[in-house]
Amino acid sequence: MTKERGILMNRKCNILVVDDEPNVLLTYRLILQQQGYAACAAISSEEARTAIRDQEIDLLLCDLSLEKQESGFDVIEFARKKDPLMPVVLLTGYATPEANDRAQQLAIPVLFKPIDIKELLDMISELLKENYEQHEAAG
Amino acid sequence: MASLQMPMGKSSRRSALRLLGIERSEEIFPVLLEEVLALGHPRALVAEVNFETSEIKPVASLNCSRHLLQRFHSSLFAMETPLAQVLHSLQPARVHPRNRRSPDYYYYPLIYRNRTACWEAERVRGGKCIAVENFHSRLKLQLQPQVCGVCEMRAYAAMAVVEVKRGAKETDIVELRALLELANRYLSRLFKVEHYQNRMVDLETTITQMQTVMESMTDPVILTDPQHRVITQNKAAARYFQLPEEVSEGRVRAVELNNLLFSAALSSMAVSGTDSSRDMTLVDAIEGDEVLFEAVSAPSFAPDGRRTGMVTVLRDVTDLRRADEELRANYDKLRQAEEVVRQDRDRLNLVIENVGDPIIVCDRDAKIALLDPLAHELLGSRHGRSALHVRNQAKLDAYITKFTYSFSDRESAPIQLTHPGTLQEVEYDARSGKIYDERGMVAYTVTVLRDLTAVRRLEQLKLERRMLEMEKFAAAGRLAGTIAHEVNNPMEAIKNCIFLLTDQIKPEAAPVYDILKGETERVARIVRQMLGLYRNTDQVGNFDVNAVVEDTLLLFARQLDRAGVHVERELAALPQALGSADQIRQVLSNLVVNAKDSMSNGGVLRVRTRLVRKDQVRQYIMVSVADSGCGIAKNMVRTMFEPFVTTKGERGTGLGLWIVKGIIENHGGKLRVHSKVGQGTVFSISLPAAVQ
Repeated sequence: MTKERGILMNRKCNILVVDDEPNVLLTYRLILQQQGYAACAAISSEEARTAIRDQEIDLLLCDLSLEKQESGFDVIEFARKKDPLMPVVLLTGYATPEANDRAQQLAIPVLFKPIDIKELLDMISELLKENYEQHEAAG
Repeated sequence: MASLQMPMGKSSRRSALRLLGIERSEEIFPVLLEEVLALGHPRALVAEVNFETSEIKPVASLNCSRHLLQRFHSSLFAMETPLAQVLHSLQPARVHPRNRRSPDYYYYPLIYRNRTACWEAERVRGGKCIAVENFHSRLKLQLQPQVCGVCEMRAYAAMAVVEVKRGAKETDIVELRALLELANRYLSRLFKVEHYQNRMVDLETTITQMQTVMESMTDPVILTDPQHRVITQNKAAARYFQLPEEVSEGRVRAVELNNLLFSAALSSMAVSGTDSSRDMTLVDAIEGDEVLFEAVSAPSFAPDGRRTGMVTVLRDVTDLRRADEELRANYDKLRQAEEVVRQDRDRLNLVIENVGDPIIVCDRDAKIALLDPLAHELLGSRHGRSALHVRNQAKLDAYITKFTYSFSDRESAPIQLTHPGTLQEVEYDARSGKIYDERGMVAYTVTVLRDLTAVRRLEQLKLERRMLEMEKFAAAGRLAGTIAHEVNNPMEAIKNCIFLLTDQIKPEAAPVYDILKGETERVARIVRQMLGLYRNTDQVGNFDVNAVVEDTLLLFARQLDRAGVHVERELAALPQALGSADQIRQVLSNLVVNAKDSMSNGGVLRVRTRLVRKDQVRQYIMVSVADSGCGIAKNMVRTMFEPFVTTKGERGTGLGLWIVKGIIENHGGKLRVHSKVGQGTVFSISLPAAVQ
């Protein structure tokens, strides 16, 4: 099933992974690619914004705390400006109540590290499927 | 009287014999008058003196007209009359009237007189007999005490008045005087005899009365002579001292013994002379009982002072003594009771002195009646009171007055007083009670002041210790969070790597790979739990504990079912709890998972909630999670709430119960565990209910 996971409408879904830890970023990218997705990685919010601007992104996988004082929410906002329906999964080591509230307002699921990979993959495919159906319905 | 010695004529002897034959005094006067007339005198009368009225009145007469009698009806003090003059002088007189034709009158005083004293006066010796007195007082009539000082005889006084025959010579007068003299002597003698006769009759009457009195006395009365021989005794005495008609051996002995005892007592009492009393035990000759008597004896004396014997009255004091003994016994009892009361009081005083708290006793008007030394320190004494003392007293007065006039029996209230020694404000817990009198009115109030300083300090210490515990827990949580966070990212990478290698391991390396995977998952679990502790993602507010219980059980329903655990729930109606529903859910999840793990072969999981009312305000929600599992060993119970202690080997983190305890304590609740190896474990949580 792994090979089929990444493909919707006969093309590979493109997932952007944002995390300030290089090894985490790399391993997620590898896993997603292994699962058949087209994955690109950004190590900073700056890189992330560039990727969102330049590429067609189907799903954003974003860590809450990024380099310096940058927050994952800034990246998410930027992405939602481009595509208001863009599916997003927020990853975090630990969350404050405020962050939790904000994620709930934006209807963004939060996953706490250490993350169960199977749970993450299920969530990604679910979100992509929903998004595809919404797009289909919208025409 | 010389005149009486003169030779008597034939007629005078006849007169003398006639007068001598008279036996009654009242017959003297008529016979005398007849004899006077027999001497040839025409008329004669006798006038008697009444000393009480001073009246002189004719009582007998011969040949006297009424008119004449009237002339001699006079008074003792009519001194102008010859009658009174002769009486006062006690000298007979022949009175010649101024009128030559009128006859002469001879006046002769008849008065109780005698040459020898009466018998009684003789016996008394030196007593003044009125008869002798009158005999010697030739000059004047002793008017006043015409009563004998010895025999109390009332003397008589009368006047014989004779109309002297015409041409009477001196010899006629001498003859008349001799007759009258003789008559008076006879009268005196008769009078004396009659007087003694009367006195005898009187005495007999008195004796009879006395005997009646004596007999009617219930106490034995005995008269004895100087030799202690019984003269007379009453019936009550006879019972003890006289042998009855039919005698038995025992009675004779009893009476003899009684007599012996009695004379012995009398002898000893007689020595003492005056009235004396002594106790003696006699035997009742009839009943045979021993009777205790008190004998009171008084010596009796004759009129001349001679001792005539003793009068002894015996008083039965058996009952009296018994009563006395009872009284004494009761008195002793009373003394003992008093002693007990005294000891109680001393003990109470000792207790009060050693209570170590100030004690104030006030009366019904809330005025201080008693203070112990500590209360004295607070309120001062009469000598030397400072402003602080007065202020303390005012505060206390307000409290005690309010309590005294209130309807409650007991009262307790906090009261702030300043200790005059240390000048520090001390918080006291005043506890008061009322003491009522027999009418149910407040007699006293007792107030004990308990120094709360120590209690408050202890409370403060407890609070500080708890704060410290919580602080420690929070610090540990923060540390755990920091470590976990730092470990989290590298571990995330490791975990991802393992996932990526899943299908690329040579078969011979597979076991090693499995260890790598398992241990990494274990680290992930530890990190997750440590982060859970620090993750403050949830809201604090009111929540429904029952709903959290239901959620948790639903979440684990399939796991429990698979493990063969039957769930029983008993959920009471509860108020809302205050805190974090997520944290409580974490607690319950931990406990449910633990319970499930302890019942590897299935069992029963019982979850109960109930409400416990501690007082009017505070209520607690109790949640108990009970399993029928393997139980916890005693040595584990002590350490199971410490971090990294686990019985589950590789599967456990050793953090679950530590976190559970921390969360419950953060909520102001308590966690208790009760376990028996082989029977099961009960975890009880109490959480404060939200104030509505």
